[in-house]
Order: sequence, then structure tokens, then C-alpha cells
Amino acid sequence: MNFNNNNNNNNNNNNNFNNVNNINNNNKKPLTNSLAGTPPAKKILVIKNLKQIPKTPDNYEDSSWSKLSSAIASINKKESTTLTQEELYKMVENLCFDKNLASNLYNKISIQIEQHITQTLRHLVMAMSSDPIIFLKSINSIWKDHTNQMIMIRSIFLYLDRTYVIQNSNTVKSIWDLGLFYFGNNLSQSNLERKTIDSLLYSIRCEREGDEIDRDLIHSLIKMLSSLQIYTKFEIEFIKETNRFYDMEGNNKINEYEIPMYLKYVCDRLSQEGERLMRYLEQSTKKQLMSVLERQLIERHIDVILEKGFNTMVSGDRLEDLGKLYQLLNNIGAIQKIKQSWQSYIKQTGIQMLNDKEKEPTLIQDLLDYKDRLDRILNQSFLKNELLTYSLKESFEYFINTKQNKPAELVARFIDSKLKVGGKRMSEEELETLLNKSLILFRYIQGKDVFEAFYKQDLSKRLLLDKSTSIDAEKSMISKLKTECGTTFTAKLEEMFKDIELSNDIMNSFRDSPMTQNFKSIEMNIYVLTSGNWPMQQPIEATLPKEFLEYQEVFNKFYLSKHNGKTLKWQNALSYCVLKANFSQGKKELSVSLFQTIILYLFNDIAADGGELSFRDIQASTGLPIPELKKNLLSLCSSKSDILIQKKSISNSSNGGGAPKTRVIDETDTFLFNSKFTSKLFKIKVNSIQIQETVEENQKTNENIISDRQYQVDAAIVRIMKTRKTLAHNLLISELVSLLKFQPKPVDLKKRIEILIEKEYLCRDPENAMIYNYMA
Amino acid sequence: MKVTIKSLWNTVSAWHWDVNEECCGICRMAFDGCCVDCKIPGDDCPPVWGVCNHAFHMHCILKWLNANELQQCPMCRSEWRFKSDEK
Repeated sequence: MNFNNNNNNNNNNNNNFNNVNNINNNNKKPLTNSLAGTPPAKKILVIKNLKQIPKTPDNYEDSSWSKLSSAIASINKKESTTLTQEELYKMVENLCFDKNLASNLYNKISIQIEQHITQTLRHLVMAMSSDPIIFLKSINSIWKDHTNQMIMIRSIFLYLDRTYVIQNSNTVKSIWDLGLFYFGNNLSQSNLERKTIDSLLYSIRCEREGDEIDRDLIHSLIKMLSSLQIYTKFEIEFIKETNRFYDMEGNNKINEYEIPMYLKYVCDRLSQEGERLMRYLEQSTKKQLMSVLERQLIERHIDVILEKGFNTMVSGDRLEDLGKLYQLLNNIGAIQKIKQSWQSYIKQTGIQMLNDKEKEPTLIQDLLDYKDRLDRILNQSFLKNELLTYSLKESFEYFINTKQNKPAELVARFIDSKLKVGGKRMSEEELETLLNKSLILFRYIQGKDVFEAFYKQDLSKRLLLDKSTSIDAEKSMISKLKTECGTTFTAKLEEMFKDIELSNDIMNSFRDSPMTQNFKSIEMNIYVLTSGNWPMQQPIEATLPKEFLEYQEVFNKFYLSKHNGKTLKWQNALSYCVLKANFSQGKKELSVSLFQTIILYLFNDIAADGGELSFRDIQASTGLPIPELKKNLLSLCSSKSDILIQKKSISNSSNGGGAPKTRVIDETDTFLFNSKFTSKLFKIKVNSIQIQETVEENQKTNENIISDRQYQVDAAIVRIMKTRKTLAHNLLISELVSLLKFQPKPVDLKKRIEILIEKEYLCRDPENAMIYNYMA
Repeated sequence: MKVTIKSLWNTVSAWHWDVNEECCGICRMAFDGCCVDCKIPGDDCPPVWGVCNHAFHMHCILKWLNANELQQCPMCRSEWRFKSDEK
């Protein structure tokens, strides 16, 4: 405002100059004047310089300095100042009005502070204790005093700090910094700094070795170091010391401790050091400190840890220890190392399990348990790490396929045993989870065709002999397989279910037809199968009793009248009957195979109770092949259900009498009906031999698989050659291996190639026998 | 009578196509299987007979007849006529 007026009203300048002597007293005057006399536009306000600058007394500087200086001195002596802080502050403020005085003041203070610090520290050096703790305490108290005193001094000289120092911030330090500067300088000039750092390191070492130390003291001193900006010096030493310490200790402990112990030790150390960081170190040290620990305690010993401890920890199911291991190695990014050990453990143990012949019956259950165990470790200890999850899968797949077809067969067997009547009762959910688990194994297996073959075999028996626990469970299994392998895989299996349903329809209409009038006494249930869908055995010929034949004949007529162009072949080996038997102890119901029925019927024709039939008689009347007959007789004579009594012929009695448990049916034996047969049960099942797989069946299934595979191999060879036209032998083999879903043997492949050459699909190159050409 | 059939006789029979030959002369697949275009053996893929008594999968012979102007049996080149079901 003043400025404005001056510019606009040059004329009036002189006028006002005279009027105004003192700004404070007179600056209202022109205003009132102008209001009274002149129009408002001519308002004038003028401020004039002071006529004379007020002066401080000449000796003011000296006198006030002496007061201030003595105040500082008494603060340093921890005495109260004679003047109040208010007065002192005012003095400083006054001095600061003059730049020169302020600068003088600053210099004087700085000298006094320096003197004091030098003195105190020199004192300390003289009275230095050799005991590091005492030394630390004394330096700490000096530091504490220093900071307290500096705070007071600064508050007195605050005005100086805020004016002079700020204006010259490039060249001058604030009073506080000044204190730090001199303190730091003095420390480093004397060997106090060295001594402090060493003593600190000494205390930390003591704490590492398990002693109690005064953490607050250390904390305060570390704070001092960082205030004095010599923390980095300390840090370097500290890291060196830490390195040395854990280098030694790590080496000792890895040899001394078991691995789980060692891991615990490492974790403890890590948390201790973490606490140390929290309690008295600067956070900036964290990275270096931890990396030293990780390097010295983990990284260097990683191989030993894994080699010595990994397998035992996994087999010992030590989830917690493995969790620690994972955490530690994850922190240093060494999951790859775990992965290696993990893989080799899974593979080794798995292969061992597969090769243990004695444990074959429980192999699948064992494998499932094994998988469960590994999964638990993976989920709980390894936190579902992706890499490890994948390598678990991969390793499982690897080892399970090291044994050609056996695992696939066993998985099918296992599922069969669960779906079959007679196993342990399970709730639906249990069964469901079990099936899901076996599917996991199934997923790993390359020879899916093997599984299919055996599964089909078992399924057909379950369905035809009515041994399936639940059709729902069967169907759910099929749908699981379907999602796993696609519709073509299960198409035939589903057809089997359709055949069963269709047969039920046929039977219903058959029972309603007039042709069955004469056969009401027997309820006949016939499954009519589409032969292509079922794993069929060669029908076994047998001489059936007349009534059976008649019945079959009637059905034959009935069926063929409806379905032209077909013939029926009876699979007698798969049929069974429920018989009513009269024993002297009462009536029983017997579930027996058709062949056993025929045998038992022979005894009906013998009037007397004690009538005997020789093996040869039985064979002649039934027409059964000898091995089949033996099998059926054996289960009729077995100690559990001895419906027939086996009598050894005299010539063989010496062998047979001694060891009744391992019964063998000889062709010279004779048999008689055991009318005194007793059993707790009313219903007796003798036909379990039907559901058991025979060696021949197993062989046949395996043969079928092999021949099916041949076609696949042929097709693959032709497919490859058709696109390549010419190809060297080795390349062809390697392409085949990658193309085929199972692991073929190179010998077999070679054989198929030979055969295709014979069939003129391929020919050898005339110049190089190792190269094949495709023949269009 | 010591034993009698009480109530149940559960038996199994498998039906086959009543064909003398094992497999179809066109696709060389078994009659109890199915022709190459079908996936599932059974009533959907039946064999048929010509008057010359040669049998093929119905699908196979139809394909053949559609592809050739001469309506001949591929086995004996006699004129192809379907054998009626007088059997």
C-alpha cells in the first residue's frame, strides 16, 4: 500500500515526509486529514525510514556472551543456570539482530562446545576401563549427557539456529549437528570409536553365545553411532564378525546335530537375529545380516542337509521339520534343490514298492497311502508349491510306468475288489473317495489299454455273476473313466450295461410268453450278450441234465423268433444256480456254479446215501474238461463247505491223508455226498471260484492286449511313413515311441516293421538297409 | 432227491451273427465286431446276405453298391440281390 501511494502521488511525497516522524504514532494522521479535506481518491499513506537506528550498547556483546558462556558451562556441569532460559533466549535473540554479532556468537559457541567435548572424551580415554561393558556404559552416559546438554543449549540458542544458521545453511551446521560433529570427530580421532565398535561386537557375541546383555545400552549406543554417521563403519565390522561367527558355528553344528535339530537351530538363530534387528540394530542392516546367515547356515550346507536329512524326514513324516526346511530354502530361492531330492525320493521309494513282489496284493493300497502321505507333505510342509506339485506328479508317473503293465492291471484289480460283493462294507462316500483316488493312479499310468482290458474282464464277471455291490457305483466309475479318457474309451463298457438292461427286457417278455408254461418251477435268468462287447472265453462244453437243455432250447427258439440271423452260444462257465439241498441236519440253499450243479445232480441218481462216484465216472457223465472239473470238485470238497467227501484211492492215500489242507483232486479219487453236512449259515456260497480269475484268463487278457497293441503299432508305422515317405530306422522308432500311448519294446516294433515290409506297406531302401521307404 | 434247483438259474449266453465266415469280405472286420464306420457292435451294424450267399456288413455292401454302377457281389461278381428272410 505504501509503495502504491508513493508512485501515484509523487507530489505529495514531500508533504508527508515532514509530517511523519514516527510510523507508529503518526500514520493515522494523513488518513484523517484526507478524509476531512480532500476527496477519498487522494488518500495518502507514507512511511518513513527511521531517523536514527537504535543501537545496542557497545559492551552488550561481550557482557551477554559472558552470561551465555557461563550458562553453557553450567549446563555442561549439570548445574542450573543463573539466569532463566527466557532471559538467555532474549539475549540470543538480541544478538542475532546483527549479522556480525550472530556470526561471532556462533563461532564462540562452537568453540566452547568443542572444548567441552574434547575435554570430556579425553577424560574418558584417561580413565578407560578395559572391561568392554563398563566402557560402553561410561561412553553411553557421556553420550546421554551430551545429548541432554545439547538439547538445552540448543533451546537457548534456538533463535540463532532459526535465523543465522538457516540463512547460511550451506556453510554452517546447526547447533545440534555441531555437537554431533565434534563428538564424532573426537571419537574417531581418539581410538574411542574403534573401542566402542569392538565393545559392541563383543557384547553381541556374548549374546549370541547365550549370555544376557543390556540391550537398552546397546540400542542406545547403536543409535549414537547412527547419529554420528559412523553406523556404516560398525555395520561392516558387524557383518564381518557375524560371518566369522556363523561360519564356525554352522560347520560345527551341521556335524554335531541331526538334520531336524540343525533346522531347528537355524530357525532359532534366524529368529534371534531378527529380534536383534528389531531390538537394537538399524533396519538397513537386515538384508545383509540375513543374507550372511542364510549363506553360512543354509546355502553352504544345503547339500549335506538334503542328503543326510531329506529322505529320513520324508519317510518319517516330519511335517514340521520339512516345513522349516521348505521355508528356509524358499527364502534363499533353492526350491530347485528340494525338487531334486523330492523327485529322487519319490522315484526311489516308488520303484522299491513296485519291485517288492511280496507286497503285490496290497500294492495299490500302499501306493494310495504313499500318495496321501506325499500330498500331506506337499500341502502342509511345502505349502502346495507349484514346482513341487508338478514334480510329484511327474515322478509318480515316472516310477509307476517303470513296470510295464503290472500297475495298470493292479489298479483295475483294486477297483474290482472295491466294487465286488464280499469286500469290506463301505459307505457310498468312502467308496467314492476311494475310487477317485485310484483314478489318480490311473491317470499316471501310460498303459490305459491294459487297464481297460482287465477292468472289462472284472466288470463282466461282476455283472454276470451278480457280484456288484451297487450298480450306481459301477456307473459312477464309468462316468469317471469317461471324463478321464473320453467316450471311445468307455463306449464298450457302457454297451455292457446296455446288454444287461436289454437282457432283463428280453427275460420279462420271455416269462410272459406261452412257451414257458412248463417251466414255471425254475426261474431262469438269462443274459444275452453282444459278443463283440464282452471279453469272451471259449465256451466250455458240458453235458447238461435234460431239464436244463430243454429250457435252453425253449429260450433259443424264443430268442431266434425275435432276432433273425443270429445264433446263441451258451457260456456255461458263467452260469450259476441256487440249489435246495436236503441234509440230515436240515435244508440249505447252495449257490453253486452250473458245473457244480451238474456234478451234484449225478448224486441224485444214486439211491443209497453212501453211494460213491469216481472221478472218471463224473467226468464221463458231465463231459467237463479235466481241469475245469477238478476246480469245481475242489471247492465242493473244501473244508469250509464239504458237501462232497473226497476219498483218496488206496494207492494214493499215503500222500493225501497227511496234508488235508493243500487238497489236490486226483483222477483216481472217489467222491460221496456228505448228507451230514452242517453249517451255521442257511445260504452257502460255493461258486466263488467263478469270480476268481484263472491263470488262463489272465494270460488271455494279456495276449489280447498285446495283439491289440500290434494293430496300434502297425497303424502308427503306416501313419508316420505315409507322411514321411522315407525314414531311417532309428528316427522311425523314436517317432513311434512318442506317438504310442504305451511304452513299446523296440524288439516288438522291429518285428512289426518286418511284417509290414512283408505285406508291402514298406520296403527297405535299396542303397541303405537302415532306411525305409513307404510304398503307396 | 438230494438237491433240486430251488428257484434260480442264472445263465449267460452270447449271441453271434449266424454267418459262416468270420469276417466281412469288404472291410475285413469280424461280423461280431462292426464295420469300420461304426463304433459299437450289435444290432445297429448287422450283416446281410446276397442271393449268392455271400455276407457283408450291411453298411459295407451299401457303400459298395452306391459307389459302383454294376450291382455285383464283390466276391463272386454275380448280380447282387439281397436274400430275403425266408430262412
